[in-house]
Amino acid sequence: MRNTFMRSDRRGVWGLALVLVWALAGCARLPYTTRTIHEDQRVVVAVQRDVQPQTYSHPVQLTSAELTSLLRGFSIREQQRLPLRWFSEEQPPKPLFREDDLQALAPHLAQGFQQVGPNDRVHFEVRNPGFNPVYGRDTIAGWMAVRNPYLYLTIEYFHTQIPVRKSDDYDSNYPLPPPTPKEYILYFEPGRFYTSDDKRVPAVEFRQFLKSGEAGAAAPR
Amino acid sequence: MNRLREGLYIFRHQRCAHRLLVGVLIVLAAWLASAGASEAADTGKLVEKDGKYVFVESMDPSLKLLLERSVKSGMITQEEYDQVVKDSEERTQLLSPTFRGWYDRGFNLSMNDNAFFLKIRFRSQLRYTQRFRNDAWRNPGEAKNFPELLGVFGDYRANRSENSSSSFNVRRLRFYFMGHLFDPDFKYYIQMRAETAENAQSPGSLSLFDVNFTYTKLPWANVQFGQYKVYFNRSQINSTASMQFAERALVQDAFTASGLDRRDIGITIMNDEELFPVNYYLGVFNGAGPSFNRLGSFTSEEATVGCPGGQTSGNPFPSPAGCPANQRNLNANTRIDVDRLMYVARLNWNILGRPGYGEGDLAYSETPQLAVGGGYSYNPGVNTSSDNAFVGLDLANLNIRRQLAAFGNGRQLGLGIVDYSTWAADGVFKYRGFSLQGEFYFKNVIRHDKGLPCMNTTCTATAPNNFGNAMGWYVQSGYYLIPRTVELAARYAYWDPDTNSANDLIRQADVSLNWFLNGTYDHQIMVTYSNTQFGTGGYTIGRSAPLPPGSGTVPLDAVGGTLIENAIRVQYQIFF
Repeated sequence: MRNTFMRSDRRGVWGLALVLVWALAGCARLPYTTRTIHEDQRVVVAVQRDVQPQTYSHPVQLTSAELTSLLRGFSIREQQRLPLRWFSEEQPPKPLFREDDLQALAPHLAQGFQQVGPNDRVHFEVRNPGFNPVYGRDTIAGWMAVRNPYLYLTIEYFHTQIPVRKSDDYDSNYPLPPPTPKEYILYFEPGRFYTSDDKRVPAVEFRQFLKSGEAGAAAPR
Repeated sequence: MNRLREGLYIFRHQRCAHRLLVGVLIVLAAWLASAGASEAADTGKLVEKDGKYVFVESMDPSLKLLLERSVKSGMITQEEYDQVVKDSEERTQLLSPTFRGWYDRGFNLSMNDNAFFLKIRFRSQLRYTQRFRNDAWRNPGEAKNFPELLGVFGDYRANRSENSSSSFNVRRLRFYFMGHLFDPDFKYYIQMRAETAENAQSPGSLSLFDVNFTYTKLPWANVQFGQYKVYFNRSQINSTASMQFAERALVQDAFTASGLDRRDIGITIMNDEELFPVNYYLGVFNGAGPSFNRLGSFTSEEATVGCPGGQTSGNPFPSPAGCPANQRNLNANTRIDVDRLMYVARLNWNILGRPGYGEGDLAYSETPQLAVGGGYSYNPGVNTSSDNAFVGLDLANLNIRRQLAAFGNGRQLGLGIVDYSTWAADGVFKYRGFSLQGEFYFKNVIRHDKGLPCMNTTCTATAPNNFGNAMGWYVQSGYYLIPRTVELAARYAYWDPDTNSANDLIRQADVSLNWFLNGTYDHQIMVTYSNTQFGTGGYTIGRSAPLPPGSGTVPLDAVGGTLIENAIRVQYQIFF
């Protein structure tokens, strides 16, 4: 079975191994879940570790009512790429959550903010049945964090159809990874509380908002 | 191994196997009959509206309130109330829209409140291949593992070429129609293809690739029947849409369950892979490849029963003693071994998580995913040539022989009728963009004719040695340099197509850089470099010396050497 080119073959294998080691050394990573705080058919709230060191003001005490009033102020529209941006961004933003979404989500978010550390963020998913419920679910997902005096919110999915299973229900064993998060433009009302931090990241001055007396009011829909 | 062979010989003649199959079909029929039965109608239903599940009464609530009060006050009877409720529900049902369409990984059409669902998808892989081959490809060329079979008689042709080639190719072109009927648990899947393989001598045409139905009411006993890929080994269960390289390794194709093709017609019982940590797959198939069955497989026979036929009369192929002289034109195609079926079993254990079958960790698994599995397949009575020992112009079914050659099992051509007993073991690990996967294969090739293969009808000339078995393995690994977007992958594959031959190894090394444009397998660009080395040693009937009488004097492998190919494949895939 031995062939004369065995030696050159071994060199090739070692070469491949070196390339692999070099690639692994790069180690690009994504944030990852360290603990799931709550999960049911409707809501998932988890602690997510950021791969870059952070200095969040966690844990933080926020009541369910406070979170509800904060989240009620957000509206959203999808950030389109050019040239679609020229057309679609004329559409008005939509409210981020419905009231029943907020009722289901806020208590678990409040719990999450009490359990995260300075390097963690609170990741959430709000689930509803998809167009074909056996195949996918309608999902709003994103994460929140607090670095005083700011509250940050990033949305990854907004009413996106996320597969229920890891592989296709109909195309046997074809993997169904969730789509990659999209980019969205968020708005907050009243707008004077929506500002940017020193790194120009949009954030809500949530303490001032909660003190303002406007927190209890329903945001314009 | 001999004991195993004996056991398998006994098993294939056992009636219990057929009884088992009949039993499975009866159970399946009972399940299907129950699929049409629906639950008693409720007075409302859950509907999805703007991404929200709400329970909607079939009747207008205000009308219902008035009617209920009317019953209580005696203004109407209970029978009148029931009738008007029923009429109202029917009216609501008739007036409500039952159709919706949307795009999500395909064009989705849902009808009758999702009782019927159709997803239409399309996939293409467009490829540019730059190939460099050494001088050994010019002579001797590849005549052993992947011979080309010419004409209606399937004469052997060596696959030879000059050193360099450049080509564009529509490597895969697929149309999909899938969904469910009557109930989300009764699924259907149809796949058509219209593509041309590299080295194909004729353009591809639209043909049926898959058609199957799956009933999933019982998660621990899903039933799939029709034509589909046999659940046997990891690399073949996986789709070509979710690979780390532009092509499967050659060794992966050589060790399919049937030895002929990865697809077949039959039935499989299995549990739900996503619900159970240990998954089983038990299948019974024709064992003759896709869109084909054993009734098409024949052996040539003279008009006199038991006498080998289908050849020119006289020397060098005299009839055996007791048989009349051969006649060229009047012979029979005799179906033998047509009561045989292929039996396949696979077991998969998801030790950690559920890595699934897609290659690479595209999903960027947050927790380690580890699985091991193994499969066994027994495919008896494969006619690699007619059993009359006439191997120059072989009149066994050409479709079977071409499948053997296309999947790299060309060394087994001319061995007469064989039973394949194939084993596979595999493992996979995925974690945060890193993946490692490997498989080991072993195929026991059992010839029905004992002794050295005959090379003429009277067996005065024989092959110099017996064919052995076949074994091979591969290991591949990948890492996402940019999570869910850019992956670097490498693979090494080893294949010994005949354990009784020397200098016949096939070794393959691949490196691929893959760009997944939207974070799924659906839209990707791959650049795959492959180095493949074929040993040309070993004896193959009808191509190596000594040649069968009358087949010529110069064998195709008179000039030895190692066939070396370096190829770069740039491939674009879109699946929508």
